[in-house]
Amino acid sequence: MAAGNKKQEEVTENMRKLQLDVAVRSIQWSYAIYWSISSTQQGVLEWADGYYNGDIKTRKSVQAGESPSDQPGLQRSEQLRELYESLYGGETNSQAAKRPSTALSPEDLTDTEWYYLVCMSFVFNIGQGLPGKTLAKNQTIWLCNAHRADTKSASIKTIVCFPHLGGVIELGVTELVLEDQNLIQQIKTCFLEIPVPIVSKIPNDHVCVELDHANMPETGFDPVVDCREVYVSSPDNCSNSFGATRLRDESDVFEGIDGEVSQLQSWQFMGDEISNCVNNSMNSSDSVSQTNGNPEKIVPILNETRECNQQKGDEIHYQSVLSTLLKGSNQFILGPYFGRCKRESSFDSWTKDGLLNAKTVQTRTPQRLLKKVLFDVARMHENCQLKSSKNKEKIVNLSTPEVDEIDRNHVLSERKRREKINKRFTILGSLVPSGGKVDKVSTLDNTIEYLRALERRVEELESCKGVVELESRTTSKLHDAIEQTSDNCGTNHIKKPLTNKRKACDMDELRANCKWILSHVQSSNTDGILSLTVKAQVKGSKVASEGVMRRAIQKVIRRV
Amino acid sequence: MENSTQESNLRSEICVTYDSPYPIYAMAVTNAAASPHLRRIAVGSFIEEFNNRVDILSFDHDALSLKPTPSLSFDHPYPPTKLMFHPTPSASTSTATSAGNLLASSGDCLRLWELRDTSIEPISVFNNSKTSEFCAPLTSFDWNEVEPRRIGTSSIDTTCTIWDIEKGVVETQLIAHDKEVYDIAWGEAGVFASVSADGSVRIFDLRDKEHSTIIYESPQPDTPLLRLAWNKQDLRYMATILMDSNKIVILDIRSPTMPVAELERHQASVNAIAWAPQSCRHICSAGDDGQALLWELPTVAGPNGIDPISMYTAGAEINQLQWSAAQSDWISIAFANKLQLLKV
Repeated sequence: MAAGNKKQEEVTENMRKLQLDVAVRSIQWSYAIYWSISSTQQGVLEWADGYYNGDIKTRKSVQAGESPSDQPGLQRSEQLRELYESLYGGETNSQAAKRPSTALSPEDLTDTEWYYLVCMSFVFNIGQGLPGKTLAKNQTIWLCNAHRADTKSASIKTIVCFPHLGGVIELGVTELVLEDQNLIQQIKTCFLEIPVPIVSKIPNDHVCVELDHANMPETGFDPVVDCREVYVSSPDNCSNSFGATRLRDESDVFEGIDGEVSQLQSWQFMGDEISNCVNNSMNSSDSVSQTNGNPEKIVPILNETRECNQQKGDEIHYQSVLSTLLKGSNQFILGPYFGRCKRESSFDSWTKDGLLNAKTVQTRTPQRLLKKVLFDVARMHENCQLKSSKNKEKIVNLSTPEVDEIDRNHVLSERKRREKINKRFTILGSLVPSGGKVDKVSTLDNTIEYLRALERRVEELESCKGVVELESRTTSKLHDAIEQTSDNCGTNHIKKPLTNKRKACDMDELRANCKWILSHVQSSNTDGILSLTVKAQVKGSKVASEGVMRRAIQKVIRRV
Repeated sequence: MENSTQESNLRSEICVTYDSPYPIYAMAVTNAAASPHLRRIAVGSFIEEFNNRVDILSFDHDALSLKPTPSLSFDHPYPPTKLMFHPTPSASTSTATSAGNLLASSGDCLRLWELRDTSIEPISVFNNSKTSEFCAPLTSFDWNEVEPRRIGTSSIDTTCTIWDIEKGVVETQLIAHDKEVYDIAWGEAGVFASVSADGSVRIFDLRDKEHSTIIYESPQPDTPLLRLAWNKQDLRYMATILMDSNKIVILDIRSPTMPVAELERHQASVNAIAWAPQSCRHICSAGDDGQALLWELPTVAGPNGIDPISMYTAGAEINQLQWSAAQSDWISIAFANKLQLLKV
């Protein structure tokens, strides 16, 4: 009997699964959930079955051999279910650490998948929540703009619920679809038909999953409807567990099996704490559901306060479920998913459109106050100190003593350096012919000029020296001897010009007297007697007599 | 646009505001809780005159209200550049600091105040100048969480001074930079980092005072770095902001000179940054565009840079941001004359 019943169950469940599959795929919506009356709790709707057909973030499928393309949605739904269970049934699942590599991890999921996953934990009293109301009224409910009114998820925009076989079928989609009776009819026909069994394609472990689900309530965690205490206290609890995980060697919660193990262990920790609060708040939630009168057709609702409370309750429930699943204080690990559902936060999720709202104040200085704090406040203090010091008639020294000493040393060395420089400038000034100005710039200018002039002169003289040397080599050594003995100049360079000068002036004299044109001068020294031969042409009207010439030459020689 | 204003109205219940009679800048949240739902917040005024005030507000978690406590208020000479409470008040065992809750303020010099139930008493003034008259004005300071007797101050005279507040003496004074030092942050018990007008971030280890490590220099030479934040959850990471820049530079101390990330989504210059106190990957920033952005640092950055995960728009330029470990689900911001507490 039991086996027969079990088999019957299996078949029903398989068929239902198929129906959901077909239904949601035929209309191309995101998910389908079958809520059924709970076998364990009275008058409560709980998640019985589901099919996910929406957006997937990270595809994790088995290897090619198993042709996943046939039933991708089915596989995804299973994977989500499996993820839910691993996150949720931590303490009972000892093989949590050995999840296959194709198993999903939290960051692989989109918003929509998250919503679907969290729905697995939802429980509705009759008349409460969308499915509850559907069952109570026994009518179809079409909810538009679900993302705004029913604040469960920002991505699900349309939800339709209708009663079926003692339970409720919920279908949702991420687009906004206006109410369409034909669509509802279409969906219903999918469920009324008995599909050709394609049971063979459903893997067997799928069935096992369903049975495990029935065991879930035993783990001791009851989802709550209104559990503000849980939400507030969970960060504290979590911070303890977080502290424990931190002691591990920097295990990054994103990666690795180790991370998952630590997560699960801390959930265990959390689970114990929460179960206490749960019992208390369950009472309050019952009263809440009873006070809700006749549920009406839900429309986008910002003004209906009663509905608001309900929505808020749902939101908090959603929030608390997420927190308990994912270690409340580490909500940031899944920040984007948290951000997109409108929880109690002052922050909005980031959008590029949000840039338009930002205040762009370009006219004023950027970082005005920060700069004032850093720059101006210091100045204010310094000025104040300055004033107070003036009052006390002290020499103002605004820098700190430490810096002062460093400064003093620096000042001294600087002074020495300046003195050295000045001294050298004066020496240079004395060496160089100056026009009278003794300032540094003029000194340098004069030096430059003088240096250039001297260089030019050296060049000229060097070239002249070449010519004179040629000449003097042809003349006798006496010439040189005379030059050397009578020459008072120290340097050889200057010898030549002077000797030239002398010759020139001698010749000039002769020339002056008789307008001689010299052609050749030759001198020789033999045995102490200097003989000088001068060949010259006389130009002029007057012819110099021999005597005049002799006298002129003697005069010259005497001078020599 | 309409949606966002509607939403912000809806959110008004989770955003607590205090209107101050004067513009405010410095802010600190106490780490000692008188009762679990009551927390004290110190707020310093910014008036460009000698007379400034520091007020102590009480934040009631349940009632979501911020109220000033008139008896707990004191005068401060010129605006306080930073306020900070003792990081671990319950843990302090020395006689000097065991009584009550300590608040430190920086301005012309470092001052300590004791926050009692009905009054605030000045405890000490830490003045390092040898002439005993003047001390170089402080731009910022940081209280070492691991060694609460240590406070490091940064000054415009290019030095950083480490004080032992229990003994009331200078532990050491280092010439940290070539120009004014604008911010200082402790990493470990004896390691701190500072940023300066010379555009560098340097790390100092008190065990080896002769040497410092430059871990970043601003790309345009001599662009001052104005603020620094060290990630207390993951000591590898630091964040800094440059003058007149809308970028937040994230640095990894293990790879100097190359920033790990540059967060560039503010539309005007950034004024303040704060790492999340209990997450190693999250950071909040606020700027002149009136926005407070919450960022999550991914393991691998996308090609277009990193986008924030959430944002808040205030009505004016946000000048100050504090994210205290004491209340990790509230971020405090200061803009114009208002102090706001935002729920994360």
